[in-house]
Amino acid sequence: MDHSDNVLIIGSGVAGMEASLMFSKAGKKVTLVEKLSLIGGKTIKNEETFPNMDCSTCLVAPIQQEILQDGNINVLTSSLVEAVKGEAGNFKVTINKKAGYVDLVACLGCGMCYPVCPVELINEWEENLTNKKAIYVPCAGALPNVPVINAEKCLQLNGTETCNKCVEACMFGAINMTEKDEQIKVNVGAILVATGYDMLDVSTIKNLGYGKYPGVYTAMEFERLFAANGPTEGELVLRDGKKVPSSIAIVHCVGRSQTHYCSNVCCMTSSKHAHFLHHKLPEAKIYNIYSDICLPDKTYQKFYEDVKAHSSEFIYQADRDKMKISEEKGKLKVEYLDNNNKDAFIQVDMVILANALISALGSEELKEVLGIDHDKFGFVETQPFRIGSVATSKPGIFVAGCAEGPKDIQNSVIQSEAAVAQIMSLLNR
Amino acid sequence: MSEKIGIYVCECGPNIASKVDIEKIMQELAKLEDYKDKELVIKNHKLLCSVEGKKFLEDEINENNLTHLVCAACSPRDHDTTFINVCKKTKLNPYLYQMVNIREQCAWIIPDKEEATSKAIRMIHAGMDRVLYQQPLEEKQLDSNPDVLIIGGGIAGMEAALTLASKDRAVYLIEKTEKLGGKSAKLKELLPRQGVTLNVLHQKISDIQSNRFIKVFTNTELDSIVGFLGNFEIVIKDMNDPDNTTELLAGAVVVATGFDLMDVSSLDSYNIKNDDEVYNALEIEEMLSLNGKILMRNGKEPASVALIHCIGRQKVGYCSKVCCDYLLKIAKLIKDQSPKIEVTELYKHMCLPNKHDEEFYEQVKGKGIDFIKIKNAEITGTTINFTDIADAKKKLDVDMIIVGTAMIPTVGTAELGVELNIDQHETGFYQEAHLKINPVSTNTDGVFVIGGAHGPVGITESMLQAQAAAGKIFTQLIPGQKIIPEVKVSEILEAYCTGCQTCLDVCGYGAIYFDEDKGISIVNEAICRGCGNCVGSCPSGSIRTRHFTNPQLYQEVKEALR
Ligand SMILES: Cc1cc2nc3c(=O)[nH]c(=O)nc-3n(C[C@H](O)[C@H](O)[C@H](O)COP(=O)(O)OP(=O)(O)OC[C@H]3O[C@@H](n4cnc5c(N)ncnc54)[C@H](O)[C@@H]3O)c2cc1C
Ligand SMILES: Cc1cc2nc3c(=O)[nH]c(=O)nc-3n(C[C@H](O)[C@H](O)[C@H](O)COP(=O)(O)OP(=O)(O)OC[C@H]3O[C@@H](n4cnc5c(N)ncnc54)[C@H](O)[C@@H]3O)c2cc1C
Ligand code: SF4
Ligand code: SF4
Ligand code: SF4
Ligand code: SF4
Ligand code: SF4
Repeated sequence: MDHSDNVLIIGSGVAGMEASLMFSKAGKKVTLVEKLSLIGGKTIKNEETFPNMDCSTCLVAPIQQEILQDGNINVLTSSLVEAVKGEAGNFKVTINKKAGYVDLVACLGCGMCYPVCPVELINEWEENLTNKKAIYVPCAGALPNVPVINAEKCLQLNGTETCNKCVEACMFGAINMTEKDEQIKVNVGAILVATGYDMLDVSTIKNLGYGKYPGVYTAMEFERLFAANGPTEGELVLRDGKKVPSSIAIVHCVGRSQTHYCSNVCCMTSSKHAHFLHHKLPEAKIYNIYSDICLPDKTYQKFYEDVKAHSSEFIYQADRDKMKISEEKGKLKVEYLDNNNKDAFIQVDMVILANALISALGSEELKEVLGIDHDKFGFVETQPFRIGSVATSKPGIFVAGCAEGPKDIQNSVIQSEAAVAQIMSLLNR
Repeated sequence: MSEKIGIYVCECGPNIASKVDIEKIMQELAKLEDYKDKELVIKNHKLLCSVEGKKFLEDEINENNLTHLVCAACSPRDHDTTFINVCKKTKLNPYLYQMVNIREQCAWIIPDKEEATSKAIRMIHAGMDRVLYQQPLEEKQLDSNPDVLIIGGGIAGMEAALTLASKDRAVYLIEKTEKLGGKSAKLKELLPRQGVTLNVLHQKISDIQSNRFIKVFTNTELDSIVGFLGNFEIVIKDMNDPDNTTELLAGAVVVATGFDLMDVSSLDSYNIKNDDEVYNALEIEEMLSLNGKILMRNGKEPASVALIHCIGRQKVGYCSKVCCDYLLKIAKLIKDQSPKIEVTELYKHMCLPNKHDEEFYEQVKGKGIDFIKIKNAEITGTTINFTDIADAKKKLDVDMIIVGTAMIPTVGTAELGVELNIDQHETGFYQEAHLKINPVSTNTDGVFVIGGAHGPVGITESMLQAQAAAGKIFTQLIPGQKIIPEVKVSEILEAYCTGCQTCLDVCGYGAIYFDEDKGISIVNEAICRGCGNCVGSCPSGSIRTRHFTNPQLYQEVKEALR
């Protein structure tokens, strides 16, 4: 048997999850590889999704649950694809599953192990806004709800001392310090790349003061600030843990001059942030500073109009490269060129930078492993001049969601469903 | 057979065990007055959802010959399916099992252990009372037809047809005009990277014509449709000869009826006469396709052209998403035709949502086009009075104006929506089953919406939506596979129904129909999803939803509220 009917899906955001469930329904076996210890992608970082402000957990958690319980889907968390050999219809894939030191079946997610751990680490998943232990789940409600151990930082595993405190705290014997990385080999007929996006590092952009002034946040940091399961449990306070901002500037198109494309979702995420801020802090003064407004869905303008009418003042800036943020007497001063090309400024307590979406970290390595082409921005390129195709430059390998370029949830899902059609046509041929 | 109820209390490790008194729960349940003469098996387990726990439960059901089962554990969201699957391995009908959530609803929210314990006892008691009133239900299997009807032969409908058709699946493509292609056929050029219009379209059309699994009906409209996912009965009619109808059977329907452009004469700020040199972008595309050139009505080349964005946008309430792109394309085509034509673009926002758009914008900017950001514009003949972004009032006289007008739902959208029982969004386009997570499906299972009928879209997205609908159909309607409809559905008791038809209006799925002969309403079980809306609406109380009947709910609530 040289022809495989199975599918490998890389990345478990909305795009990867939708495809996994569809393939399973059609009776195909799916290997879903996710580099983090939890599935769900970026959407689970959002408390609410625009434009209907649906609760994101309510949208995604049932899908995550279904995936974890689906007998046709083998979910490999903390895993990376290491090698791919062969061709469409018969790819031989090697996956490295990093040891997490906690048994996925035996662990109940009771959470008794992390309070006892003496090691404090920065929680990157929470956009560095809080800490975690050496044994951790990234956030409350993570699925699978099973902690992993950071082997480099765990005192027991890195040989600093005999700690074992978590092992003693676990009533289910779920922690196994001898676990090793595992090499898993699968045979698949097709591969779907659904690795999503990451955010442009704004500390590289001059004059915006990110990293220098604590009142300056990125969009994703703000998403975590407003999440009920986030570092402040949804309470809106600045980095000092006390100050509630009374004026906020949300800056659009941050990094667009560097990326050379519009990131598609940030006019809406900025409107969402204004909407949320206004409802949480009705007295606060909220500004959106924009150059062009991009609302690419039939449902979006209404939401924006509502935010403009009730939640935020929209200020036009003539040149996004002329913005300058500094601190003056405890306030952030946001200087910009106004609609008459004149210098203007506002003073606020908090700035949210709606920074650009870029291709997922690690895409370069994956590109080499898979042998596919990228566009000049670093996103996966679909076959040029084959309009409407989600096939990559290599037969049998497809792409969906933000791995192909910035887009909202529904367009990520649509691309994923389209990829399922193209892959099913290929496999059933 | 006498009743024997199994009650299994899960400790969920320390999750439940440390917050409620498991021993006490079991003792109290064993002492219940109203169960004195019933046989009970009451046991606890450390972790019912584990592999070992499931095996334990399966053995318990079999060895004890249980007639009813209650699992007191976590949220049904987490493990209802787990225990249903255990039942399915045994003789016990899964609808004679009930789950009680003593974790989220007791252990995790009540700090006082005694209080949590007594609530848990009450809730389990309620579950026992309910389960005795439950009825065994059997899943049905229905044959399904894998074939697909596609309405609309534009780029979206054609792409769907080509993706779907195979030796196992016939496709019927109906188009109301005499030829395939839709609006895309009028375009002179496509955007960069999209290829050449004629190649893209001709290829599709000839692929369709040579595909023996696709049957095309031009000059044809839908006449009527009844049925549900897997089994639709369809009648189509010839538009030139309405008596000439054809009957078809299909398992799914894809709606690809496209869009129209808004009529600008309906806008207050436009005072245009028929012979003014004012055109919408599609007219320009057609002119370019036919003549290869943009010319005025007098046959001369215009010396100055203004392109105006966002026409009608405020009125319709949404951004049409592709007009910035195609107006850039048209500006470029004019400059390609003759660099000496003065071209001005008056735009409000430059909406460039696709990753390669900005590059194209830069390229067009380099052609010496004047871009002016405006707040408002008023057109009288070929004179534009506008307010620019700096609030300056200005006037521009040109030889020709090209307007990028809002894309609106095509004529007949509402009527077709009613026939297909699919909802319209407030913008008039069809509404998705869920905007975010189910974007090409509709409220009627088996009916999908793609392309311009779904909302403003470009060709690339139309094609992706077409494939997305195909993907959904591939995984929902597998040739040869039976479909299993929901069993927890509503039924109307013939004897009580007065035929008032109130329930027909409240059902969002169109599952209820009126039987003229019997004079009563009937639920089509293959369509009903058991939402229960109709139950509350019926003035004579003649509807019940299986597994959620009044006696079942009453028994549960009565005990829970004690
Ligand atoms: C601040 C912000 C707010 C937003 N809010 C909304 C909103 O309200 N509504 C809306 O519609 N959209 C919103 N979006 C957009 C939304 O996040 C995306 O549309 C969506 O997440 C895309 O899903 P995806 O599956 O393509 O990618 P992702 O969600 O990024 O998922 C990709 C997954 O792949 C994994 N992965 C990455 N690389 C690898 C690798 N090499 N190997 C294995 N796994 C890998 C990642 O860990 C991740 O789990 C927002 C975006 C931002 C930036
Ligand atoms: C001026 C202009 C320029 C454009 N340029 C570009 C471009 O360069 N690149 C790009 O990507 N996009 C472009 N677009 C957008 C593109 O036209 C649409 O994305 C595309 O036409 C949508 O295809 P569709 O099949 O959904 O709809 P349509 O093209 O509208 O086709 C719908 C078809 O359905 C038929 N129909 C309607 N109702 C019924 C019914 N009840 N029964 C049977 N048949 C019915 C119609 O006759 C028609 O044939 C442009 C649009 C305009 C207006
Ligand atoms: S063994 Fe490692 S992970 Fe466990 S408590 Fe100690 S330091 Fe933390
Ligand atoms: S204590 Fe054990 S069971 Fe509980 S979360 Fe930690 S590893 Fe899992
Ligand atoms: S979506 Fe809006 S904020 Fe984001 S890059 Fe585009 S125009 Fe700028
Ligand atoms: S795409 Fe451009 S022209 Fe069209 S409505 Fe949106 S902003 Fe206006
Ligand atoms: S509402 Fe009740 S009585 Fe009226 S038609 Fe429906 S089932 Fe019959």
